[in-house]
Amino acid sequence: MMNNRIGIVLACVLAAVVLAGMSLFTVDQRERAIVFQLGEVKEVITTPGLNFKWPLIQNVRYFDARILTLDTPDAERYITSEKKNLLVDTFVKWKINDARQYYKSVGDEAQAQTRISQTVNATLREEFGKHTVQEVVSEDRDVIMKVVRERANQDAKQIGVEIIDVRLKRVDLPQEVSDSVYKRMDAERKSVANQLRSEGSASSERIRAEADKEREVIVANAYKEAQRIKGEGDAKAAAAYAQAYGQNPEFYAFYRSLEAYRSSFKDRSDVLVLEPNSEFFKYLKGPGKGGK
Amino acid sequence: MSLNDPQWGKKGGGNGPPDLDELWRNFNQKLNGMFGRKGGGGGPSSVRPPSMRQIGGGAGMLIALVLVVWLASGFYTVDEKARGVVFTFGKYSDLTSPGLRWRLPYPFQAHEIVNLSSVRTVEVGYRNNVQTKVPKESIMLTGDENIIDIQFAVQYTLKDPLDYLFNNKRPDDTVLQAAETAFREVVGASKMDFVLYEGREQVATDAQKLIQDILDRYKTGIAISRVTMQNAQPPEQVQAAFDDAVKAKQDLERQKNEGQAYFNDVVPKARGAASRLTEEAQGYRQRVLANAEGESSRFKQVLTEYNKAPQVMRDRMYIETVQQIMSSTSKILLDAKSSGNLLYLPLDKIMQMSGGALAEASAPSGQSLVEPTPNPNSAARSRDALRDRQRESRP
Repeated sequence: MMNNRIGIVLACVLAAVVLAGMSLFTVDQRERAIVFQLGEVKEVITTPGLNFKWPLIQNVRYFDARILTLDTPDAERYITSEKKNLLVDTFVKWKINDARQYYKSVGDEAQAQTRISQTVNATLREEFGKHTVQEVVSEDRDVIMKVVRERANQDAKQIGVEIIDVRLKRVDLPQEVSDSVYKRMDAERKSVANQLRSEGSASSERIRAEADKEREVIVANAYKEAQRIKGEGDAKAAAAYAQAYGQNPEFYAFYRSLEAYRSSFKDRSDVLVLEPNSEFFKYLKGPGKGGK
Repeated sequence: MSLNDPQWGKKGGGNGPPDLDELWRNFNQKLNGMFGRKGGGGGPSSVRPPSMRQIGGGAGMLIALVLVVWLASGFYTVDEKARGVVFTFGKYSDLTSPGLRWRLPYPFQAHEIVNLSSVRTVEVGYRNNVQTKVPKESIMLTGDENIIDIQFAVQYTLKDPLDYLFNNKRPDDTVLQAAETAFREVVGASKMDFVLYEGREQVATDAQKLIQDILDRYKTGIAISRVTMQNAQPPEQVQAAFDDAVKAKQDLERQKNEGQAYFNDVVPKARGAASRLTEEAQGYRQRVLANAEGESSRFKQVLTEYNKAPQVMRDRMYIETVQQIMSSTSKILLDAKSSGNLLYLPLDKIMQMSGGALAEASAPSGQSLVEPTPNPNSAARSRDALRDRQRESRP
């Protein structure tokens, strides 16, 4: 009897567990679920927690409710308005907004990614065609990303997807163009270097010239000052002489002449050829008469 | 039914985690006892009361054990720098702080641990070491259409574990993506020289802000703590030219300095020369003036005496002067009037002989007087006498 009862209880518990396993399901915080009834979408569950479904006739599919990333590994080639090629790498952030629509139109993530990347690429191509390289790289980068996001989002509504963001990662020049850019950069730097060097010698020369000028000016000014001082000395001396000699010019002439004679004839090598009839030899010829 | 019992028992024994040896041994003994009695040939009904009790006790214990283990599986620890997130049937229900925590066991509740405060790093443009570059990430186009090579690292922490867990698939990859796009946007809006030299800090700051904006837009719950530019340089292809330009800049400085050195050498020297000139001039002025004053003073004093007896003074001065001249020079005295004919005077010979020897005048006609070298002493004496007189006459 006891044995029987335990067996029954156990069987019931087992049946209940199996039944619960078939009819109860949980939806994670990060998921959405669709309940299908014989293949037909019966219900979309967007709130996480414990849910009920009819066993056997209903089944459940889960979809990620988080933001997903579409990041293509290879860069695509785009042509700008000035017919230049650009290698562009983008990533798209998207999430499933309407699980029912999403399931109906694309079904799974791979399909959805393909669809989204087609839309984004087409829109990007169109936008790049309207802009120059310069605009794409710096000025209008933001605008392009915004426009592409909005238009891709518009399109993505059809597949129950919201495009959160479209962002440009790499915007690079193709290899062959890069090489010419390198050459240009090289040439630019060389010209900068040359300019710097000649600026260097120019400024060096300028400073040297300035130094030379300064030297000339300083010396010339000093010469000027020196001459002035000398002139002043000469003038004062002349004034002193004039003051003294002016007292008796005739005597000065006599006095000065004697001095000059003395300093002119003072050496043995000076030879004087004289006539004895000068005043000095007056008495050499005879004693003369007293008085004049 | 009776067949069922041992199977049931075995099954339970197999499932129960036998972490307590004693319990296990007890359990085995009971089972053995049961089999032994069965082998005794008694009908199932005859041994029912004791075996039932035993089975009931064993199953109860088994269930209790399983229950304990099951409940114990709800324990988990949360590290000091982490938070636990508890889900009830998949729905978020609780955020638990560090320590030993308990939740309802599977299938009712589950938990995840989110590491909050440890700093995570994303490397862009390189891996592990700046030398191991990833050109795909590091080569960028600048605003002036130059190409530049940048490596940088982004450090981040989590500011909201729930956002981090719930809103994005692979949030850590998102950081790398956001960092790449943000950096390229900032660099794309800047000039190359700005990124390379003066604007490095600025670029990193701008990029950090932009990365944070992007991550906030995706509600990743991530806070960027630092963006460090590891390296920013021109690509290898043009490295040499850039290095040369840097060198040229230094050359410029060097040349300027050399010029300045020349300046500093020349100008002070010129100043020195200038002051020498003016000093000399001043010396000259002093000298000339002093001479003039001295000479005029001498003249004035002589004049004073002269005025007292002009004629005598004149004669005396004249005679003294001529005497002095005569005594110190060679002289030839000839009466030119009396010699009407041409006179031959070998002056050069006289000059040669005037060194000390007697100079002979060869005047064929007329008187000639050639005086020998005069006594130098007398001349010196007379000069001294004159000087003495002058000194006396000075006031």
